[in-house]
Amino acid sequence: MTVHAADAAPQDAASGTSKWSRAWQNHAPGYLFLLPWFIGFFGLTIGPIISSFYLSFTDFDLLTSPEWIGLANYERMFTNDRAFATSMRVTFTFVLFSVPLKLAFALAIAILLNRGMKGLPLYRAVFYLPSLLGASVAIAILWRQLFAGDGLVNQFLSIFGIVGPSWISNPNYSLWTLIVLSVWQFGSPMIIFLAGLRQIPQDMYEAASLDGASKWRQFWKITLPLLTPVVFFNAIIQTIEAFKSFTPAFIISNGTGSPINSTLFYTLYLYNEAFSYFRMGYASALAWFLLLLIACFTAFSFLTSKYWVHYDD
Amino acid sequence: MTIRLGRRQFLMGSSALAAAAAAGISPAFAQSALRLIFWGGQARADRTYAVTDLYEAAGNPGLEAEFLSWNDYWPKLATQTAGGTAPDIIQMDYRYIVEYATRNAIAPLDDVIGDLGEFDADQLEGGKVDGQLYGISLGANSVATLANKKAIEEIGETVPDNSWTYADLERLGEAFKSAGNGMVAFSDGSGTEPMLDNWLRQRGLALYTADNKLGFTADDAVEWFQMWNGFREKGYIVDAETQALDTGTPESSMVATKKAAMMPSNSNQLVIHQSINDDELTITSYPRIAPGVGGGHYRKPSMFFSVGGSSADPAAAAAFINFFVTNPEAGAILGVERGIPCNSAVREAITPTLDEQSQIALNFVANLGDLVGALPPSPPAAAGEIDLNLLRVISQEVAFGARSAEDGGKAFVEEATAILARANA
Amino acid sequence: MTIDAPKLTVVTGAENDPRARLRKRMFSVLAHALLIGASILMLYPLLWLLAASFKPENEIFTSGIWPSLSWDIDSYFRGWNAMRVSFTVFFMNSFVIAFLCVVGNLIACSMAAYAFARLQFKGRNFWFAMMLMTLMLPYQVTLIPQYVLFRDLGWVNTILPLVVPKFMAVDAFFVFLMVQFFRGIPRELDEAAMMDGAGPWRIYWKIMLPLSIPVLVTAAIFTFIWTWDDFFGPLIYLNRMQDYTVMLGLRTFVDSTGESDFGGLFAMSVLSIVPIFVFFLLFQRLLIEGIATTGMKR
Repeated sequence: MTVHAADAAPQDAASGTSKWSRAWQNHAPGYLFLLPWFIGFFGLTIGPIISSFYLSFTDFDLLTSPEWIGLANYERMFTNDRAFATSMRVTFTFVLFSVPLKLAFALAIAILLNRGMKGLPLYRAVFYLPSLLGASVAIAILWRQLFAGDGLVNQFLSIFGIVGPSWISNPNYSLWTLIVLSVWQFGSPMIIFLAGLRQIPQDMYEAASLDGASKWRQFWKITLPLLTPVVFFNAIIQTIEAFKSFTPAFIISNGTGSPINSTLFYTLYLYNEAFSYFRMGYASALAWFLLLLIACFTAFSFLTSKYWVHYDD
Repeated sequence: MTIRLGRRQFLMGSSALAAAAAAGISPAFAQSALRLIFWGGQARADRTYAVTDLYEAAGNPGLEAEFLSWNDYWPKLATQTAGGTAPDIIQMDYRYIVEYATRNAIAPLDDVIGDLGEFDADQLEGGKVDGQLYGISLGANSVATLANKKAIEEIGETVPDNSWTYADLERLGEAFKSAGNGMVAFSDGSGTEPMLDNWLRQRGLALYTADNKLGFTADDAVEWFQMWNGFREKGYIVDAETQALDTGTPESSMVATKKAAMMPSNSNQLVIHQSINDDELTITSYPRIAPGVGGGHYRKPSMFFSVGGSSADPAAAAAFINFFVTNPEAGAILGVERGIPCNSAVREAITPTLDEQSQIALNFVANLGDLVGALPPSPPAAAGEIDLNLLRVISQEVAFGARSAEDGGKAFVEEATAILARANA
Repeated sequence: MTIDAPKLTVVTGAENDPRARLRKRMFSVLAHALLIGASILMLYPLLWLLAASFKPENEIFTSGIWPSLSWDIDSYFRGWNAMRVSFTVFFMNSFVIAFLCVVGNLIACSMAAYAFARLQFKGRNFWFAMMLMTLMLPYQVTLIPQYVLFRDLGWVNTILPLVVPKFMAVDAFFVFLMVQFFRGIPRELDEAAMMDGAGPWRIYWKIMLPLSIPVLVTAAIFTFIWTWDDFFGPLIYLNRMQDYTVMLGLRTFVDSTGESDFGGLFAMSVLSIVPIFVFFLLFQRLLIEGIATTGMKR
């Protein structure tokens, strides 16, 4: 299958002077190891990405050809779209609260489990189980059963005499039920933290103990610093995923973002614009704005990471 | 100044490398069978597959059918259409038929559909866009109020008949309030577009006019919201939080969760709601604004079959559609699951075979009498957006007290007008 | 099951102090209590799901806090064979796709990660940024162009669009993950091997991979589970019901415009978790045993 046109060959692969061939010797392994990725990137990924960027300057209703309209989409986004502002607010709130909470739980439980206690595999499986239910339609029904006005959470609270609102259908609290859902599924970052903890060489701890360091000191001076690359990874990834979060809001509000758009996540809004209202051009503009935001955040994180992330190389 | 780019051309230009390679590969789709796509659950799928089997057994070319849930159906169909691989026979909804038809994503059927027998004229009209036939109605529907018969009789009332009015609604509201069993009389209909439409039509107005404008004014909208605010304050309908639990699925509705005894619905949904409710349900009309005032209802096509715009064999596709709606055996298999059959011969043939709920639905649609008004014009583009994005959100804001009824009514009309202008320019 | 608890208890003088032992024990009990409590909270919704799957249809939505105990397994049978194509086929389809994706990801992403983490080449940072960027764009807007691309390749209605990209390290998540882990492996090992005359391939194969078992296992687990759980890809690219995956099949159980089979939905949802859970249990042993091979060899 000749998808891979000869694009992966780097510029300096020209045969000729020894300087070039030496450079090739040095750089070739890198490019060769990256060959599958290059093929995928140029063959499968970059085309649609550029297309979507192009589409953001068009009016594309999916059923007919796109029509160039310049910056009109972006203009509308910033000046004439109430729902855009709402969805930004909803998404930022979600990211602000769900990511730190999720990471905190994941790290705390991972550290707890890493002590090698009895029943570790069982606990680990138990904490990971909720993440397995990710996109299931059953979650919507489940969450309503829990958080509706007469749902199980309120039944539980009534034991203490607290009368709770209908969490899931009250615009002041509905987003929180989604935050809870996200945090409930902290299994993924937890597993990654565990893997990271497990990769810290044991003899470091042994050496430190021989030097008389306490468990606490070992944690601060060995565990945490060596774990920072993983912490960094989880923080970035979870934030990016949170910005792009779609499925929970989609299935729980049935695509409506109700009540009163209080669960109108940015990508849900984007999805409706694309597929419900036949405005894929506008949706593409929204997507690229999101990419810009995320890219800025990520770049900032990488730049500041050198102050706290400790790599061994 | 607009620049139109051929879609295929632009997309291929962007993915240069793959396109260069693909130019050497022509996709070989073996299109021997017709492809059919529809939305629905397992119940509808069983019936539909039985009919395709029947069609094949009668010596016709076989069909490959796939079905999806409503939420998944539209993105998939749009993707396939954008990619030029849409199926031959497409189940279509009233809300989208105008969008698809005006963009040639579905094909005109006038010349290929053949003889449909004695087909209800209004159902045929319903599938026309700009005078051309784009969809064949698979069943007639009417709006109806779903009622919990058991709960209503338990408090000593009777289910209202087709003559009931909004005043009766208030009376029932009082009755449920005094009964104090946790159930109220009615759900909150302020955000239900068909109910608003019905209410406007009874007053001689309409949601939309034939020239794609709003058919009512801000004053009407304000009065609508004020009416429901009144019901809510007096405790006749569910409160805002409770209504917001209804996300549009049957199991989250107010009747299913036993919060209200009645709610706005459609005639073909009785069967669905009964299957998830252990109380006995029935249907009646939407309330009249005053005794004797009719004209609010109309028999709406519940859904259509259309032929894909890029179909290789529209005649064969149309032949299947014809079979689907005119063959009595097929009709017996399908029942009224998609709506009341529009072909009178089929209707007569299946009436004796229907179960109780289906009979109720059939009788209801047949006996609307003076409730029926003229068929409205096809909805303008962006009508769906106004319903989902605007009416529902504003009605929720008013219900939760975030906006006053005056404010909400004015904003609704203002923004709806803007949306219509932009979409129908 | 013996757990590697002893590895973390380091020998110090304090260990022999009975007070310290008691404190340690109390801490352990407290930890267990917390974990058990947290586990119940985590599991409760799933237990509800499990209980609901055993109930007759019209009782599902009327239960209280404590799931009542009826044991009607009809939902399981009904759900399994509900469609023309039974869930056996769906499960097999899901397995094949998930397995292929795991293989693809492990190979391609580790290679790409090695390049980014260890090898020097011109434009490394630029390409790394490009790779990360692919993570940031919501899939909804690349969906249509990608569909057209795959249509032009003739891959629509096959599993190729779902599987082949994995062999091309399209999952930036795993590349990034492995980069972070690879960077945690001390460079001295590389340098020692290079002094022995090993080239980049040998280092990759003999040093990086064996020392990265935890992250590779993690990647395998995640790939399997996410591929299993993915419905949007199969939704768009698979047209024939006999090609559907489990998740796609589940979504046809509940349709908001028609009759839904909730019992069947819950039953099949429970069953759909079983394979991925088993996969997780099997592979998580490697996460434990991986510890035996990490760390520096003396």
